[in-house]
Amino acid sequence: MIDKFWNQLKHHGQPFIGLVLILILGTLLSPRATDGTIVFLSPGNLTDVLLQQTEIGIIALAMTFVIIGAGIDLSVGSVLAFSACVSALMMMVWNPHGPTMLQIGVAISASLLGGALIGALNGLVITRIRLQPFVMTLAMMIGVRGFTKWLTGNVNVDLGFGAIPSGQFAELFSSKAFAISLWFILAIVAHLLLTRTVYGRYLRAIGENERAAAYTGLPVRGVRLAAYIGCGTLAALAGLIHAARSHQGNPNDGVGYELDAIAAVVIGGTALAGGRGSIVGTVTGTLVLGLLTNVLRLHMVDSNLELMIKAVIIIAAVWLQRRSTGVHGDL
Amino acid sequence: MLECRNIQKHYGGVAALKGVNWKLLPGEVHALCGENGAGKSTLARILCGITAPDDGEILLEGHAVNWPGPQAARQAGLGIILQELDLFAHLSIAENLAIGNARLEDGAWVSPSALNDAAHPLLRSVGLELDPTLLLERLSVSQWQLVAIARVLGLDAKIIFMDEPTSALTDDAVERLFGLIRQLKERGVAIVYVSHKMNEIFRICDRVSVMRDGEMIATATCAATSIDQVIQQMVGRVIATTRREKLSGTGQTLLEAHEISTRKLRQVSFTLSRGEILGVAGLVGSGRSEVGRVLFGISPITDGTITLEGNLYEPYDPHDAVAQGIALVPEDRQKEGLIPGMSIRQNTTLASLPKYSRSSWISRAEEVAASTEALADCRTKFADQELPIRSLSGGNQQKVLIGKWLLTHPKICFFDDPTRGIDIGAKDDIYRLLAELAGKGLGIIWVSSELPELLANAHRILVLHEGRCLGILDAATATQEDIMRLATGHHAARS
Repeated sequence: MIDKFWNQLKHHGQPFIGLVLILILGTLLSPRATDGTIVFLSPGNLTDVLLQQTEIGIIALAMTFVIIGAGIDLSVGSVLAFSACVSALMMMVWNPHGPTMLQIGVAISASLLGGALIGALNGLVITRIRLQPFVMTLAMMIGVRGFTKWLTGNVNVDLGFGAIPSGQFAELFSSKAFAISLWFILAIVAHLLLTRTVYGRYLRAIGENERAAAYTGLPVRGVRLAAYIGCGTLAALAGLIHAARSHQGNPNDGVGYELDAIAAVVIGGTALAGGRGSIVGTVTGTLVLGLLTNVLRLHMVDSNLELMIKAVIIIAAVWLQRRSTGVHGDL
Repeated sequence: MLECRNIQKHYGGVAALKGVNWKLLPGEVHALCGENGAGKSTLARILCGITAPDDGEILLEGHAVNWPGPQAARQAGLGIILQELDLFAHLSIAENLAIGNARLEDGAWVSPSALNDAAHPLLRSVGLELDPTLLLERLSVSQWQLVAIARVLGLDAKIIFMDEPTSALTDDAVERLFGLIRQLKERGVAIVYVSHKMNEIFRICDRVSVMRDGEMIATATCAATSIDQVIQQMVGRVIATTRREKLSGTGQTLLEAHEISTRKLRQVSFTLSRGEILGVAGLVGSGRSEVGRVLFGISPITDGTITLEGNLYEPYDPHDAVAQGIALVPEDRQKEGLIPGMSIRQNTTLASLPKYSRSSWISRAEEVAASTEALADCRTKFADQELPIRSLSGGNQQKVLIGKWLLTHPKICFFDDPTRGIDIGAKDDIYRLLAELAGKGLGIIWVSSELPELLANAHRILVLHEGRCLGILDAATATQEDIMRLATGHHAARS
């Protein structure tokens, strides 16, 4: 009985161990407020962490799908900046003289559609021309960044305050309640999609053995294409939250986000080779990275040191998972 | 020469070898047989230093040895030809032959021309007339196998392990291999021949050892035992090896291929009726797998037409082919068939998943019911269908792949060498299963490297040679010699 429980924990609980460790570590190391409460555990601090991780968290959800399908999407950081700038431009520069909600709605839709199109382009080239995902999305990362800079003339597009559409947009999208619940609702949807639907099953089969999946008659191209479209769309959604939170569309933002998202996915136990992975793991991985940063910042740890510690965490997490899933070096 | 005492090996909680004692004499050809999962391959890998035993000792010429890795065993004169071919697809034939060969890899520099020169005699000895600079990925499975054999020949080993060396070879290549084995034996090389194929074992081997469930059951000289006795020792029960009663096809034409050509086929025509098993024989490279690739929408046809139930059949891709009622059990089970990390259930239902789902939401109960039924229909032996499919033996994996297609209710099923490398008990189950499917009115096209199984189970046999159909023989009257004559290109030989 205990053995079985332990095996279950070893199989499914791996990402949680890191999360629990960091929570304990954070609690023990946390500075105390003047009234003696633990700062780290205060609701304000914890929701701050969640909000900070929302953008990476949402991107990482879609990245999990792409990676399980044995792909990678390096363009998400650029798509985030693209979406932030397009939405800001549409709300600030373009004035259709319509109701506020319409203008916000059109701006949001245009950004998401743009992200989806970029994802579709990635997916089409990867599945049809069979360019390697790394190469195609690397090119897209560079190209979209350039396009965004050209679109904005390489200047920040500030969102205004108050009753104007952009002000209301920023208020909504940057609110903790909205952003965090959006992330978690998407996480639940993604989890169900991956574990309970035909699509999720096909994606894992294709990621693990594309040839066998094709020889089973699965719609290999369509499934992989959908993963890239989803990734572009969610990166654009993260870009909307980013614009609202930073109150501007900055064409130079989002650099390195793709790597943070990949790190979260990998810490969560998803195999870069494809086929194996989970949304629960990815959310946990995102939280581990966020809480770690938070613990260190509460202690004013040098941000350069923070990066080095993150590096160790990534390696340790993946190493632990290899041990528990029984991937040995046996010939 | 080589001896092992009380070798034990566990994988997880499963005992693969339970204290094996065994001896190899100098200059003998020693067969190691047993059903899949009996522990033959594990024993061979342990003796060659690829896998470390949990317990027990290995003696080479009377001295205890403890291999730290395969290199040490290789230097001591042990060569192995693995079942999973350990070659490099992106290197040339010559480079593959040189890897691990101290004589050719002397120093940091290798001269391409020296490698190629060294490759020629090795290739010739296994009967491959290929340019040594060809990349391995351009070669067929059979050619890979021959390169693997050539590589071990180049090592000048004193003991050679051959793990299912003929599983991907055609009959003429097998003959050449047997010639080689005899030559090696004359030079005093001892050979361990791991195989299921009784006819081969009794033709070429001096002694035969039988393993079952991780234990050494018996060792005897071939003269002192018989095929039936060895089979009985392997499976622990008696199996009939005679021709099966065949149901005749209904005569209603299901599929008609009219002079189809592709990159590998030249104007091949054939028909397939409901309830018919059409065997396809041919040497490797004859285009026998290509027939399936055409039907499955993988290889486009450049000329000719195919009709399915009277309608023009032009599959766009495998997805389309499956939708039109075609199923294909591929030649390479590992690379083209299995999703190794998925469970037995998930592998079974993969092709028919939309049937058990409402607006893409999978109904677990319906899925489990369907896979349970399909697995039972195929006589698959498993402990729990939630276990990963890689926990099954080769024969049971193959049954799962067949069960997968039963759930799609195909009209035509193409089997590409379905009994390759699987044990006798499972083979027999598959023969019975194919006959049952034909009995239900499916059209079956069955490629095989083993002529006796085609003769025993198929209705007609299509013989391919270099992409051309040289004849369609009636299995009731044809002989192995008839087929081989056509397969090797002797048109007029059949009188």
